[in-house]
Amino acid sequence: MRVLVVEDEAALREALKSDLTAAGHTVDVAADGEEGLYAATEYPIDVAIIDLGLPKLSGLELIRQLRARGKTYGVLILTARDSWQDKVEGLSAGADDYVAKPFHVAEVQARLAALLRRSGGWASSRLRCGPLELDSRAQTVTVHGQAVELTSFEYRILEHLMLRAGEVLSKTELTERLYAQDFDRDSNVVEVLVGRLRRKLDPDDTLKPIETLRGRGYRLSLPRSTAA
Amino acid sequence: MRRPSVSRRLLFAVAVPLVLFFALTIGVLDGVFRSLSNASLRELLAEQVVGLVTAADLNRDGGIDVNLLDPESRLDVPGSGLYAVVRDQNGKLLWSSPSLNGTGLELGMRLAVGGADFRYLKARDGTQVAELSRGLQWDYAAGASKNLVFTAADSTEPQRQQLWRFRQQMAGWFAALVLAVLATMAWMMRRALAPVRRLEQEIAAVETGAAQGLGADYPRELAGVAKGLNALLESERNRIAHYRDTLGNLAHSLKTPLAVIRANLGTAEEVAAQRATLQHEIDRIAQIVDHQLKRAAAAGGVTLGQASVPVLPLVTDLRAALLKVHAHKDLGIDLDVPAQFGFLGDTGDILELLGNVLDNACKWCRARVAVSVQLDGAREVPHRLSIVVEDDGAGIAAADQARVIERGVRADEQVPGHGLGLAMVRETVALYGGELIIGSSAKLGGARVELRLPGR
Repeated sequence: MRVLVVEDEAALREALKSDLTAAGHTVDVAADGEEGLYAATEYPIDVAIIDLGLPKLSGLELIRQLRARGKTYGVLILTARDSWQDKVEGLSAGADDYVAKPFHVAEVQARLAALLRRSGGWASSRLRCGPLELDSRAQTVTVHGQAVELTSFEYRILEHLMLRAGEVLSKTELTERLYAQDFDRDSNVVEVLVGRLRRKLDPDDTLKPIETLRGRGYRLSLPRSTAA
Repeated sequence: MRRPSVSRRLLFAVAVPLVLFFALTIGVLDGVFRSLSNASLRELLAEQVVGLVTAADLNRDGGIDVNLLDPESRLDVPGSGLYAVVRDQNGKLLWSSPSLNGTGLELGMRLAVGGADFRYLKARDGTQVAELSRGLQWDYAAGASKNLVFTAADSTEPQRQQLWRFRQQMAGWFAALVLAVLATMAWMMRRALAPVRRLEQEIAAVETGAAQGLGADYPRELAGVAKGLNALLESERNRIAHYRDTLGNLAHSLKTPLAVIRANLGTAEEVAAQRATLQHEIDRIAQIVDHQLKRAAAAGGVTLGQASVPVLPLVTDLRAALLKVHAHKDLGIDLDVPAQFGFLGDTGDILELLGNVLDNACKWCRARVAVSVQLDGAREVPHRLSIVVEDDGAGIAAADQARVIERGVRADEQVPGHGLGLAMVRETVALYGGELIIGSSAKLGGARVELRLPGR
């Protein structure tokens, strides 16, 4: 996997680079926000580790900009203060997980692995398909303007279905979205989740948002509108 | 420039109009008295003139005799103060009263019939005399008359003395009245302002350290001030204690790991073997420093005039963040947070509190976490905000519930995290004078954490 490390403190940057390379990844490095943004948008990165306190361009701004340019790979933020204010800001700017400094490299690696399995980020902040609207920043869903409470797995399945509206997605593909480790997988879970989604999104069975294609998978049958 | 005292200003504000009013009253009364006095003098003189006319007789020489009816009339007594003359129409003196002897007064004048004149003259001894002259057609016999001018004059001395006595009395009485009124007002104001004086004294006592705070039962106008000051004092005390504690704890708690490291720094061969121990102790130091610094950083305390921090946006952001962080679980976070409720304190503090409590709930739960915020009208202002976080996990056993919030204790060693999260929550809640209540959730079957904080 190709990993980008954006960290201004040289000792930390080099330590991460050597540890991750030893684990079998290809590592690109950047020492400030501007260099980081260039690398983040130009190279075929699979996952990025970004420090929040960067010179030239702040970590938060870097994340916002790479998301704005359509980069959807996972982003792990490094925070020095470990305050919830930093974490919430970083996550709502577009990051997917955080690690507080000083950290054990093993922890970073574990979180990276989890990110690599599940696709992070979002192409655009709002997705709309017919009366269904999904807000990636707030992780909320509305149907005809009414809010619907979803669990995080239900949300992720729906998000993926909406991102690929009109395409058929297999159970395996959808399950991959949920779990980081193979051995946690429950093959039935997608069925259960789709059932729950149908009940929550379409209680009187008029909308029929998700179509089952026997032997092939599921498809979101509502047309995708241009995002707001 | 120091502003003048309230009591003095009040008293002054009352005294000045009072004195002015009384002065005005005295002036008016004085004027009335003088005017009445003058009128009565003129009347007296007019009567004297009538008396003269009645008592006058034409004598053999063609002159006038005045036979006074009253044998003890003052007109007979020289320098008595009452004088009279009769002149003819040319001004020639026909008769003058014996009382005029030695006074040096020239009374009377030329007047036409029907004319009258009133004027003041000065006698030789400096006293003032009021003189009334009337020009009359005097009938001395049937069909016979003469045009004469009758003049009567009276010393104004008695009148003047009377006026003087009147003024003295009035001044005396009014002065007494003014003093009485001022004294009463001063006494009443002292009583009314007694709470203000008490406030002064109590503040002075607090400044010198003799007292810890201000007393209660102040009148409505001052109650707000007293309460606010007490809150300020309490908050400052808490803050200072907090800092002192934090620094003390930091110093103490660092000593042990440092001691271990020092003891373990042996020869070069030994150092390599003890790398794990060193690493562990360094981790501990890092954690402790981190925790204590965060504690020191917590703003804490209710400050006067604090704006309210809306809770819903913070909880919404945290929910989105936590769903990402705990992505390996199929997590549902239900929110029941009315938009108008706010926390009276620092935004950073409430975010840390909510973040820690919610993060714990997400770690421990199976799949569901519920957050609800209420305002409890029954509790004392401002500690009315109640934030409840419940989960459907295994819960915390009753025996452990008190232990969990002690520093460094975790109910279950398996879930990662330094276990200092809830201890931090307890300390920050205490700084705001609130409460942290840990129990079991009837709704979801797991743990229930309630934060009672100032809010509205």
